[in-house]
Amino acid sequence: MDVQGRELSETVWTRMDRKAGAVVELTIRQLRHKISTWVVLSLGTVLMIMLLAFYVDAVREGFEPVDNDGDSVDADRDGYPLGQERKYGTSDWDGEQFPGSGTYIYEGEIDWNDQNREISGNKTWEGMSFLDSTWIDFDYKGGQWDYIIDWDDVTDCQDTRGEVFVDWIPDYSTACQLENGTYATNGKFTAEGNLTVPIDYFLSWGYITGIFDVPKDPKEMYIDEDDIDWDGSGGSQGFDDDGDCLRIDWYTQVDGNGDMMWWQEPHYPDSNLNGIPCDVVWVIDPETGEVISINADSSVDEDPVDENYVGEAGHRTFVIATGKIAFVLLLGLFLPLFLSLGLVRDETERGTLHYLLSKPIHRGEFIFYRVLGYLAVVSVFVLILSLVMALITSVIGPGDSFVRLGDFPVWLGIAFTTILVLAAYGSLFNTIGLLLPKYGVYLCIIIGVWEFAMGFTTLISPSSSVASLSVSHWGLQLIDSVVLASWPDTIQFSQMSYAFGLETGLEWIWSPPVHTLDTNSPYLGIITSTIVLLGTSAAMIGIGSAVFSKREIM
Amino acid sequence: MTSELPAVMLESVSKWYGEVIGINDVSLAIDGGVTGVLGPNGAGKSTLFKLLLGRLRPSQGSVRLFGTDPWESTSPFRRVGYVSETEPLYEWMTALDFLTTMARLHGMTRDEAKERAEHVLDFVGLTDVRHKEVGKYSKGMRQRVKIAHALVHDPDLIILDEPLHGCDPLARTSIMSVIRELGNRGKTVIVSSHILEEIERITEQIVILHNGRLLALGNLHAIRGLLDKHPHRIMLETESPRELAKELISEDPIYGVRFPEEGCLEIQTGDLSEAHAILPNAIVKSGIRVTSVENPDDNLDSLLGYLVGG
Repeated sequence: MDVQGRELSETVWTRMDRKAGAVVELTIRQLRHKISTWVVLSLGTVLMIMLLAFYVDAVREGFEPVDNDGDSVDADRDGYPLGQERKYGTSDWDGEQFPGSGTYIYEGEIDWNDQNREISGNKTWEGMSFLDSTWIDFDYKGGQWDYIIDWDDVTDCQDTRGEVFVDWIPDYSTACQLENGTYATNGKFTAEGNLTVPIDYFLSWGYITGIFDVPKDPKEMYIDEDDIDWDGSGGSQGFDDDGDCLRIDWYTQVDGNGDMMWWQEPHYPDSNLNGIPCDVVWVIDPETGEVISINADSSVDEDPVDENYVGEAGHRTFVIATGKIAFVLLLGLFLPLFLSLGLVRDETERGTLHYLLSKPIHRGEFIFYRVLGYLAVVSVFVLILSLVMALITSVIGPGDSFVRLGDFPVWLGIAFTTILVLAAYGSLFNTIGLLLPKYGVYLCIIIGVWEFAMGFTTLISPSSSVASLSVSHWGLQLIDSVVLASWPDTIQFSQMSYAFGLETGLEWIWSPPVHTLDTNSPYLGIITSTIVLLGTSAAMIGIGSAVFSKREIM
Repeated sequence: MTSELPAVMLESVSKWYGEVIGINDVSLAIDGGVTGVLGPNGAGKSTLFKLLLGRLRPSQGSVRLFGTDPWESTSPFRRVGYVSETEPLYEWMTALDFLTTMARLHGMTRDEAKERAEHVLDFVGLTDVRHKEVGKYSKGMRQRVKIAHALVHDPDLIILDEPLHGCDPLARTSIMSVIRELGNRGKTVIVSSHILEEIERITEQIVILHNGRLLALGNLHAIRGLLDKHPHRIMLETESPRELAKELISEDPIYGVRFPEEGCLEIQTGDLSEAHAILPNAIVKSGIRVTSVENPDDNLDSLLGYLVGG
C-alpha cells in the first residue's frame, strides 16, 4: 500500500473505529454509573443462584424411584396394590374386592317394618343393628367408601344427643358401644352373635364364598417393575416385564351378562398398530443414527428404572428450561427494559446529548455505537453467568466423567442466543425510547407481555405461526436448535419421557426445531433463527437511525 | 479546498416553529476573529446556533459551515467546537477523562486524545484539578471545562453560547481573556450574550439580533456611529457640576444639561462622536476636575431601542 492509500485508510477506517470505540466505551462507563444497571444485574444473578439452589437440592436428593404408571397405589386400602388387583380383575375402589376376596351371597334381611326384629348367627351383616357378639372378624376391613365398619374406631354410645337409633344414629361405617357391651352398628361387618334391628331400620346378611388366600404384594413390586428393554437398534423392541400388557394367566371378572366389570379397563395390546402385541417401536434416523420417535404399546416398558433415564433427562430439562425461561425470556426482556430504553433518550433529558452530537459522527452511527455499548455490558454479564452455570451444573450433574464437557456448547449456545435476543430487544426498546420519549416505557411493557405470551405459546406449540411474530419465538427456536446440535440424542430422551411416562418435563420444555426448511437439520435451525434475530436488530437500529437523523433537536 | 470558504455562511435563512418565528430572513458571513452575537433573550441567538450545529433544519434559505450544510453532514464538526449554554456535564467523570473521551469522539487515538486534553486543560488553567470529578467543580470551573471540551480537537470555528452567564467576576475575566486569546490565534470565534458590556470587552465585531431579525452587523463603534444623530446622554461626575455646565452649554453639539444627583452632570447631545470629540478640550479649558465620563445609553436595550425605533 502506498503512503497515500495508507493515509486514506487511516482517516476513513481507523478514525471511525476510534470514534466507535469512544462511544462504546463512554456508554459502558455510563451504564456502570447507573444504579439501575447494578440492580437489574444483581436480580439476574440472584435468579441464577436460586435456580442453582433448586438444582443442587434435586441432585442431592437423587432420583428416587418413581411409579411412572401409578400401579403401586392402594386406593381402597385393602392391602393389595392396584397392579395386583388388576391381575385378579378386582376393583381398587372397593375394599371388599381384592384378590381372593370371593363372592358375597345374599341370604335374607329384616326390613323397616318387619315384625320379627331379632336374628342370630355367624354371618356377614350389613345395616343398622344392636350387636351382642361372641366373635367379630376384626380383619374384615375396607376403604372409606365401602361401608365396612372400622373396628379400630369404635366410640362410646353415651352421647349428649340422646338415645342411639332414637335421637341419633352412628356415623356411616362406624359402630359405638353401649354400657352393657353391645354395639350399635351402621355398616358392614362379619360377626357371630345376636342382632336386634331397631324399628324403622334395615339389616341384610349373607356369606362370602370362593375365598382363597392371595399373599399381598408389597407396593415396591409395582415401582420400576417394567424397565425399558431396548438393544439400541430400531424396529420392534420392548418387553412387557410385569405382564400387564400380555395378561397371561390374568383373571377377568364379568358380570351376569358376561360383560367386563366396570373397573376393568379395556385392553388393547397393540395400541401402536404395528401388528405385534405388546412391543415398542423405535424409529431411528438412518442418516444420523439417532432415535427420532418411540411408539409404545400401552403398558409396555411403562415403569422404567428412573435413575437410569431421569437423571440425564432431568439434567437436560434443567439446562434447557434455565436457558429458555431464565436467560431468554427473563434476562432477555428485563435487561434491555432497564438498560437500553434510555440509551439516547436519557442524554436528551439530561441535556448532555449535544456533547455527543456536535462531533463528526453521523447520528445513525451514533445509535449503532450506543446499542453496541449496551450490548457489550449485557453480553459480558450473560457470558459470565452462563459459564458459571455451566461449570457448576456440569460438575455436579449426572454422568461418570468429572465434568460434563458436552454441556458447554449448550451453555455457550444459550449465551449466544440470549445476546442475540438482547440485541433485538435492545435496539427495539432504544428505538421506542427515541420515538416516544415519554410513554415509550409503557409500549415496551406491552411488548414485553406479548413476548412472554408468545414465548410460552412457542413452548407449548413450537410451530405456531402467530408466535413467529415475536423475538422470543426465534430465541427459543435457536435454543432448541443448539440443544439438538450439541446433544443429538435429546430427541431420544424426549421421546422416552413421552412414551414411557417419565416425569422429566423434557418433552414439554424441548421439541425439535421447526425452522429447518424441512431438513430437520439443527444447523439450519441455528442459521435461520440467527438471521431473523440479527435482521430484527438491524431493522430496529435502521428505523431508530432514520428517525433520529431527521429529528430536530431543540 | 474548503479553507477558502467562510466558516459561517447564512443565506436568507428563516426558521419558524409552527407560527412562531425563530429566525427571520437572516443572511450573514462570519470568518476570522471574535464575533459577538448580541440580542435579548428570545432574539433568536439559540436558534441561530442550533441551525449552525445541524440540530435544526432551516425552514428557508441555506446554512453552510465551511461550505457544507451541517444538517446534511456532520463533517464540518471536525472543525467546530461548541460550548452550550446548558449546565450539565458527566458529573462522575474527571475533567481529564471527559476531555479525553470528547477528543476520542473526534477520532483521535487514546494517547493523542490524552495529550490534547492535558494541553487544553493547561490553556484554560485547570491543570491542577484535572483529576477531580467535574461534579465537584465550581460554576466557573465547569464553564472552563466546557470551553476546553470545545477546543480539544483544535477547531477553526468556536461557538460559545452565553459563556459568561452566571459566572463570578473573576471567572468572567479569565474566560474573556481565553476568548480574546483564541481570536488572536486566528480562530473564528462566535460568542453570544445579552449584555453589551461583556461583548464590548471581548470584541468590536458584532451581530445584533432582535425578534429573529438581523438588526445590525459589523463594528460595534461603527454601529454606534449610526446612532450618533440620535439624542444621547453623557454622564459626568464632578465636584462642581453647575460650573462645568456653564462652560459646556455653549459648545455646539450640546443642547441641554440636567443635574440628576449630587456631583453629577448630564449633558444631552444630538451628535455623540462630535460631543466626545470636543469634551476633553472643553473640560481642560474649564479647569474643573471630572472624575468619570459615562454613556448611560450605551447598553443593549437603548442600542436596540435606537435601531428598532430609528
